[in-house]
Amino acid sequence: MPRYVEGPDIRLTPNDVIFVDVEFYTGEKFTGVELRRMFPITGLTKYIALVDSEGEQIAIIRDLNDLMEESRAVAEKVLEEYYMIPRITKFLKMSEKFKIWMWTAETDKGVYTFEIRNHITAVKPLYDGRVLIKDANDNRYEIPDVKQLDKKSLKMILPKI
Amino acid sequence: MKETTNRPIPEIYKSLYEEKVKGESLFLIVGDLNLKGKYGESMLAFTKDKLFAFDACFENTFITIDYKDIEEAEVKRMYGNAFFKVKLKGESKKKNILRFSYAAAEVADAAANFINVVNENGFSESEVEVVKSVYMKQRSFCPKCGRKLPKPDAECINCSSKSHIIGKFAKYVAPEKTALIVCMLLSVVATVLSLVPPYITKIMVDDVIPNKNAKKLIIVLVWLLAVYVFQYIVNGIRSYKLRITGNKITLNLKKDIFEKAQYLPMSFFDKISTGSVINRVNSDAGTIQQFIMKISQEAVVQAFTLVGLVIIMFAMSWKLALFSLIPVPIVVVVGKMFSKVLGPKYMRLWRRHSAISTMLADSIPGVRVIKAFTNEKKTIDKFNKFCDEWYKEDRKVAIPAAIFPSIITFLVTCGSLVIWFLGGNLVIGDDKDVSLGLLVSFVTYASMFYNPVNFFANIGDTYQNTLASAEKILDILDAEPEHDFGHDNELERMQGKIEFRNVNFAFDRSKKVLSNINLTIEPGDIVGIVGTTGSGKSTLINLLMRYYDEYDGEILVDGVNVRDIDMKYYRNSIGFVQQEPLMFRDTIFNNIAYGSNVSHVEQVLHAAEVANAHGFISKLPDAYDTMLGERGVGLSGGEKQRVSIARAVLKNPSILIFDEATAAVDSETESLIQSAIERLISGRTTLMIAHRLSTLRKANKIVVVDKGEIIECGTPEELMALKGKYYKLIEIQSMGEQLQKRKAEENFE
Repeated sequence: MPRYVEGPDIRLTPNDVIFVDVEFYTGEKFTGVELRRMFPITGLTKYIALVDSEGEQIAIIRDLNDLMEESRAVAEKVLEEYYMIPRITKFLKMSEKFKIWMWTAETDKGVYTFEIRNHITAVKPLYDGRVLIKDANDNRYEIPDVKQLDKKSLKMILPKI
Repeated sequence: MKETTNRPIPEIYKSLYEEKVKGESLFLIVGDLNLKGKYGESMLAFTKDKLFAFDACFENTFITIDYKDIEEAEVKRMYGNAFFKVKLKGESKKKNILRFSYAAAEVADAAANFINVVNENGFSESEVEVVKSVYMKQRSFCPKCGRKLPKPDAECINCSSKSHIIGKFAKYVAPEKTALIVCMLLSVVATVLSLVPPYITKIMVDDVIPNKNAKKLIIVLVWLLAVYVFQYIVNGIRSYKLRITGNKITLNLKKDIFEKAQYLPMSFFDKISTGSVINRVNSDAGTIQQFIMKISQEAVVQAFTLVGLVIIMFAMSWKLALFSLIPVPIVVVVGKMFSKVLGPKYMRLWRRHSAISTMLADSIPGVRVIKAFTNEKKTIDKFNKFCDEWYKEDRKVAIPAAIFPSIITFLVTCGSLVIWFLGGNLVIGDDKDVSLGLLVSFVTYASMFYNPVNFFANIGDTYQNTLASAEKILDILDAEPEHDFGHDNELERMQGKIEFRNVNFAFDRSKKVLSNINLTIEPGDIVGIVGTTGSGKSTLINLLMRYYDEYDGEILVDGVNVRDIDMKYYRNSIGFVQQEPLMFRDTIFNNIAYGSNVSHVEQVLHAAEVANAHGFISKLPDAYDTMLGERGVGLSGGEKQRVSIARAVLKNPSILIFDEATAAVDSETESLIQSAIERLISGRTTLMIAHRLSTLRKANKIVVVDKGEIIECGTPEELMALKGKYYKLIEIQSMGEQLQKRKAEENFE
């Protein structure tokens, strides 16, 4: 049985870009702990595992929103760094040559051009309007709400989903 | 000299790089993220003894680190991005010096390894070569299209056949050329015949009936009858011929798709669902057939009709003919709009349709599990949801698909009204060029004229629908097949020496599954591969079987790189007994004989005997003729296992692989299987993945795999003496066995 922890049970303090130090209310302390989403697609804030430097799981946080304010901010920051899923806000260009697509998009991390080999397997629309994209290098991208895209971008992406 | 780099050096660092590093640099890694995780430019330059890290986040844009100050270099893969980290001597925390997306992950791995090896063994040119070979692999792109090639200088499958989508299907049409031309000629004849009746109408209205000529009426009607008879005979023959030809085209296409699918690498099937492949073979091939027929037949006929009608109409009355042309541009424009609107919608519709097929392919074979978990309702709901999605999307297509043709028909009808109006006025005004009969037959011709116009306006719809299907089929037909670079290269006699040299492998770039695998297995060795679940044991075997060829490093059999050995010969030389052997819907006999060219029945019987399978098979009422259901229904797990061992016996392989062959059976069956295995392995190189270590009592070598690395390797005695992981596993298992024994004794008492 994994050890579940609720909000006030633990305190997280920053350690490195993707590591935190953890202190349990029992007094146990761990340094250099990684946070991993158990549901990176469907539950961004729920069931976050704490993994030590050996890769062993220490505990699972049921919901980030129950953490104390500072701890939550620390957790969100490291998760944001670990899970690099640029959010696409606009498509600038989609060009195809011999069935290899180059998509240029504006994201919250800047403008980037990536390669799509097969948009049937690379693009996955979800029912809530989100669209997940995986490029030829296995990098991930997300369109938070496809309906919010501008008309031009929508015209480019709609035939692919 | 050209730099060894994964991407061009960023402009912003160029001058700094030239000033500080150039000349010394061995290779470069150009990252696509900055250390803060935004898209940007960053770079690492490696020399013999130090590295230079460039990133706008550093105080002076760059830092220098001597290798001797580095305790360890590593690549930390995260989700969609990775860090190049170094642990400096005397510091507790690792320092991030480069951030990149997965695009640069492979070269970064090689570079980190380079630093660690140089620190351990000192600098050597051969280490630089190892790194450069990874770059070479990265750079094996087709110079024309940029597609990644399986190895440098390999032929690009894309460019070797780069004709247009429709062109690619031409090869299926070519063999049926004669039949198609015959059909076309028949169509032309039928079309010409169909142009006759309206002309006869004109004669009747203008000449026969006003002149009350009963005799001529009969003659004209006989002619009309003859035309009709001839027309329908021609049409009948044509449809028959067309159906046969069309089916032949689809037949060849389906065969080709299936054949191609057989030779696609495992990685293709990892990414694509079975349902989707089934859909492509079945329904997409049909769509293509319809389109080919439409283009090769109807289009030609319609074009012919169009030209014929224009000539006739102009010959009858140029004034009326001009008026009837008025709606043509409108019809064409509307038709174009139509395709533009429908194209993307058909693509989406295809996806929904494919989702349904996938769901079917998933749930029907899994019906036992569904029943066991009484999950029928949920499965039905899910299926209904997919169907509803399809219906919703189809409705969106239905609106334009229904409205546009109506608009076109409406325009055409308006055109005939115009002709009636103008022509009617001309007849009433006693125009000498336009008689009543001419007007009546002209209106008939005009309505016929819009048929081809309508056809060409609507062809966009069919074309879009076909294009969606064609693309899916080409996904398979154009996909990179398994590479058989060593075609026809067979070893004289496979001894069974196996070597893994610096093998690294990842299914995708997000997680490395095997790293630095170095292993030598001598001919006749019996090697036990142990490790916890997910440690990479099976992947090791998958690579040896050449299911995945995209790994770094080399695997050699008898000193020859397996990639350079003929694939068919190679796989035939290996007997592979899987944990859950798959049985085909066929007799037991054919299931044993599967995959080998056995001519004699007794060979099969002998194989079954060796595999301890003969006993149970002969007790079955239908013995060797017993029909197995799908996936081998009718046999127990242990029985299936023995059938699959018999398969391996029959192959007489040089190398044998057992992937947890006894994991799913009881101890009695296990001993039966075990004795079969022992009979089989004598004199052959054998690799055994085993959960129960007792299975490995014959092994003379044990390899312990953990987290994708070989952590222990040696004889069982050596490993026991080492008191490492193997020792621990043995301890745990024997403890468990003792406990079980004790419990059994207690119960017995």
